[in-house]
Amino acid sequence: MKRLSSFLIIILSASILFYSCEEVINPELEAADPVLVIDAWLNNTPGPQQIVLTRSQPYFENVLPPGVSGAAVRVTDESGKVYAFAESEPGKYVWVPVGNEVFGVVGVNYELSVQVGAETFTSEARMGRAPVIDSITFFLEEGDQFTDDQYQAEFWSTDPQEPNDAYWIKTFKNSEQLLKPNEIVTAYDAGFSKGGNFNGVAFIVPIRRAINPFDENEDGTFKSPYVVGDSIYVQIQSVTEAGFNYLNEVRIQTDRPGGFSELFATPLANVTTNIVNTNSNGSKVLGFFNVGAVSGLGRKFGSLDDLSEN
Amino acid sequence: MIYRSLFILFCLIQVSALGQAKFTISGYVKDAANGEALIGATIYVKSLSTGATTNVYGFYSLTLQSGSYDLEMSYIGFATQAKSLMLSENIRIDIELQSEERQLEEVVVISTKDLEGVKAMEMSTNRLDMKTILKIPAFLGEADVIKSLQQLPGVSTVGEGASGFNVRGGSVGQNLILLDEATVYNSSHMLGFFSVFNPDAVKDTKLYKGAIPAQYGGRIASLLDVRMKEGNNKDYEVNGGIGTIFSRAAVEGPLFDGDGSFIVAGRRSYIDVLARPFVEVLQEGGALNFYDLTGKANYNINKRNRIFISGYTGRDKFFFDKSQGFSWGNNTGTIRWNKIFNDRLFANFSGIFSRYDYSLQFGENDLDNFKWNSSIRNVTFKPSFSYFINASNEISFGGEVNYYSFEPANASGTSNGDEIDISLPEKYNLESALYLGNSQRLTSRIFVDYGLRYSYFMGFGPGTQYTYNDTIPGRRRTVINEENFEQGEITSTYQNFEPRVSMKVELNDVSSIKASYNRMAQYLHLISNTTASNPLDVWTPSSNNTKPELSDQWALGYFRNFGKEQMFEFSVEAYYRKTQNQIDYIDGADLLINEYLEGDLLPGEGRAYGLEFYLQKKVGRFTGWAAYTLARTELKVNGINRYEWYAARFDQTHNLKLSGFYDLSKRWSASANFTLVSGTPSTFPTSRFVVQGMLIPYNAQDSRNNVRLPAYHRLDVSFRLEGKTVKRNGNARKNSDYWVFGVYNLYARKNPFSIYFTQGKERVAQGAPINSEARQLSIIGTVIPAISYNFNF
Repeated sequence: MKRLSSFLIIILSASILFYSCEEVINPELEAADPVLVIDAWLNNTPGPQQIVLTRSQPYFENVLPPGVSGAAVRVTDESGKVYAFAESEPGKYVWVPVGNEVFGVVGVNYELSVQVGAETFTSEARMGRAPVIDSITFFLEEGDQFTDDQYQAEFWSTDPQEPNDAYWIKTFKNSEQLLKPNEIVTAYDAGFSKGGNFNGVAFIVPIRRAINPFDENEDGTFKSPYVVGDSIYVQIQSVTEAGFNYLNEVRIQTDRPGGFSELFATPLANVTTNIVNTNSNGSKVLGFFNVGAVSGLGRKFGSLDDLSEN
Repeated sequence: MIYRSLFILFCLIQVSALGQAKFTISGYVKDAANGEALIGATIYVKSLSTGATTNVYGFYSLTLQSGSYDLEMSYIGFATQAKSLMLSENIRIDIELQSEERQLEEVVVISTKDLEGVKAMEMSTNRLDMKTILKIPAFLGEADVIKSLQQLPGVSTVGEGASGFNVRGGSVGQNLILLDEATVYNSSHMLGFFSVFNPDAVKDTKLYKGAIPAQYGGRIASLLDVRMKEGNNKDYEVNGGIGTIFSRAAVEGPLFDGDGSFIVAGRRSYIDVLARPFVEVLQEGGALNFYDLTGKANYNINKRNRIFISGYTGRDKFFFDKSQGFSWGNNTGTIRWNKIFNDRLFANFSGIFSRYDYSLQFGENDLDNFKWNSSIRNVTFKPSFSYFINASNEISFGGEVNYYSFEPANASGTSNGDEIDISLPEKYNLESALYLGNSQRLTSRIFVDYGLRYSYFMGFGPGTQYTYNDTIPGRRRTVINEENFEQGEITSTYQNFEPRVSMKVELNDVSSIKASYNRMAQYLHLISNTTASNPLDVWTPSSNNTKPELSDQWALGYFRNFGKEQMFEFSVEAYYRKTQNQIDYIDGADLLINEYLEGDLLPGEGRAYGLEFYLQKKVGRFTGWAAYTLARTELKVNGINRYEWYAARFDQTHNLKLSGFYDLSKRWSASANFTLVSGTPSTFPTSRFVVQGMLIPYNAQDSRNNVRLPAYHRLDVSFRLEGKTVKRNGNARKNSDYWVFGVYNLYARKNPFSIYFTQGKERVAQGAPINSEARQLSIIGTVIPAISYNFNF
């Protein structure tokens, strides 16, 4: 229900008198040693799979993180089959399929092993399933005195009957992935969270419509998420329960819209990782290992005739 | 242990009760102008240097040996009355005191020397009368009980807009807030900008920061006891005001030819009314307002029996159309029966109801929507007795039974036409307590107050009790077993003995030393992991997984009056508070509509200590006070901050508050207050890293609250203009009115509420570096003027 409360906060922020003000500052931060980051999100799309090794940087260092070279990276499935990842450029490790081979089978467990220097980091994950996306529709949300007309998209898909599926829903607008912190969309079965009991039904409406980017105009009003000519591609990627928790923690830590929502912000905390150093007294590690099945569907917003009823 | 203390107690009473013929003087002390009972008025026997004070209903009882006595009845701001009497039988004396203001020209007043701080038995308490609260410059000109409390030592807040208050290192949910004895679960309107108490209906506000009497329990940090006015039993009176945010009106008057009285007071915000012509959303069913209605009536059945009925209802509404939005509100009701069994035994029986609820709904059509409401309810029966044994002993005893029902979520969602019930089961609990205490004068200068409260808490079915696994501390625990309970079956029980002791030694007529110890238990927990508490926070009972919170507090204080006419009151208090089973939360905790909430909670211990200085000038053209607190509040929780102590979010090392009031002329007066507090702690990252194109902050030391925000300071001023007291023709006006012109945050200080870390707002192309930045937010970043008009007729 976390997103629900952030939704409320938006209403509150919008309704309360504005006396607040915000400014960008440059506080001094404690120094810290770099920590290994393993970005290992694999899926069953045809083609190569990539694992990226980097190191953490000082918070205000606004450059690409440095890659970690010379590591031995492999994934082993429960039957003992080894997928070797070879370094293609510094920090990037790639597994290239032979012929029509596809990485990953739903229901199978995978183990990650990354050797950096004398240390070995491991993790496990099981590939879940992803329901097909039946359709994508567009509709018009008419503007009022504060907003312009908004052309929005909605995807239609039904969660399978048995419970305990978790998903990461990714949206690509004109081939660019929507990756702002408030655009991290997750679902547990058809709802927001595990205890939510939404199972075996269509994804609930706030999820179906969470594929719309809301960018601001100069004057603070919102741009229409889509205009005629735009294309959209929606992908459902299955995640483990740990992966679902991870993405939610990432959203809590990164989605800080400011304003009155700060009243209800939780303290900054480190997101957990599912990767461990085999030597528990060894160096720390960050990042995450997930293997997921994906389903996807694209559509072009060709003309206003494509609009459905809201 | 318990029996031994009871035995000692009775021995002490027996010893002091030995003697010959004794008689009792008892009665009520009231305000002559309107019949309001005066709480804490003193009846002093000159020859014996002893006396009695009135209880919260204005009743006193004083038992003395037969003889003749000179009595003095006094109350701050009222003219002292003297009375000589020959005591040879039990007598009832009801006294009406005249307010000094009203008296000025008629009689010469013996000014009451105000030695309340030194003479009162209590320590760690602060009383604010409405007159003072009305003088304090207020945000948007709206006098506010809870904001005024924050001017006192030992009381703090995390910032503007945050609801509630923190007392001596306690969290917002550890304050027991009582409105005519009914628990108020959320004391705020409009987040935390205003409180639910209507100043027109409040008579007396008293905050206990420690040394809480055995009669009260259930929260571990403080007790805020708000008593409503009874209503004028002599004349009809209308009070009201028109302010920047809301308008108020209150009507009070006599009932049953003065044998009773009533008061009804209401407030409503009207920003939505004013904005309606310009905002379409409001014309189409949207709402943005809050209101409250407070009422009370009482009736004197006869000299020994009096009943009171009081109630409150209030609600905040935020709707952006007819079917979408949310609202929250409190409802309370209290029925009380004061019974004087005999001249020495006073009893009160209270039946109390309180409910807090919120609801929200989204979805513009029937195919897809979401509805959720949640509530906490309690019904309480509370008999309490005061037995005035003699001038040296006043025994209080009684009990309390609270029945709670919790409705964490009554919710349903519809997705593309399929409706799904996502409600969580209700929880039922019973909290009961018995208490016994004695307020005793050991010698003419040494006083002790000692008591014991026994509290018992149980949960019962229907319901399910879960057992969770053990995991790495700080990670979510998962259910490994569940057990179902039938209706009425007991699920878990807890009990606690809560001793309360305080002592006063009067060093001389103008100074005293006080010390206290008390233990408190709290069985209900406010689940909130955000900077400020919010209206959707749920209360959850103790269970097999969540143990009751316990606190032990020790306090030592020195009180002294000095200066001409003893016009300055000074006190310094030191306190140390140790707590167990405080609740903190795992990172990423899911607190709303979560059946497995308890798996996300972390128990911890706390410690808080501080020094509070208070200097007040109560008389003269210039009055006011300075309050300074030096304090520390820390928590230690396995799973947070490497299991080392860390400062609580509301910890403030230095907290200085200055309040001053000055009468410029007969009609103009000025008030100012100044606040300077240390910045509250916050957690800053050290590093950043990228996973799947997401920029994530990271603290390499795994610290919590490792940095302090910059200090907070603010100056507010206000001017009050009294309306003319005479008409053009020279006759006195019957009505009175005044204007208040105020400025909040006079020098437009941008006080940081938080500093947060985020990536830039711009969209970043895949593979490009992401900018990170720190932003400082000020909730109030500007000067805020206000004007209000207030009247009485």
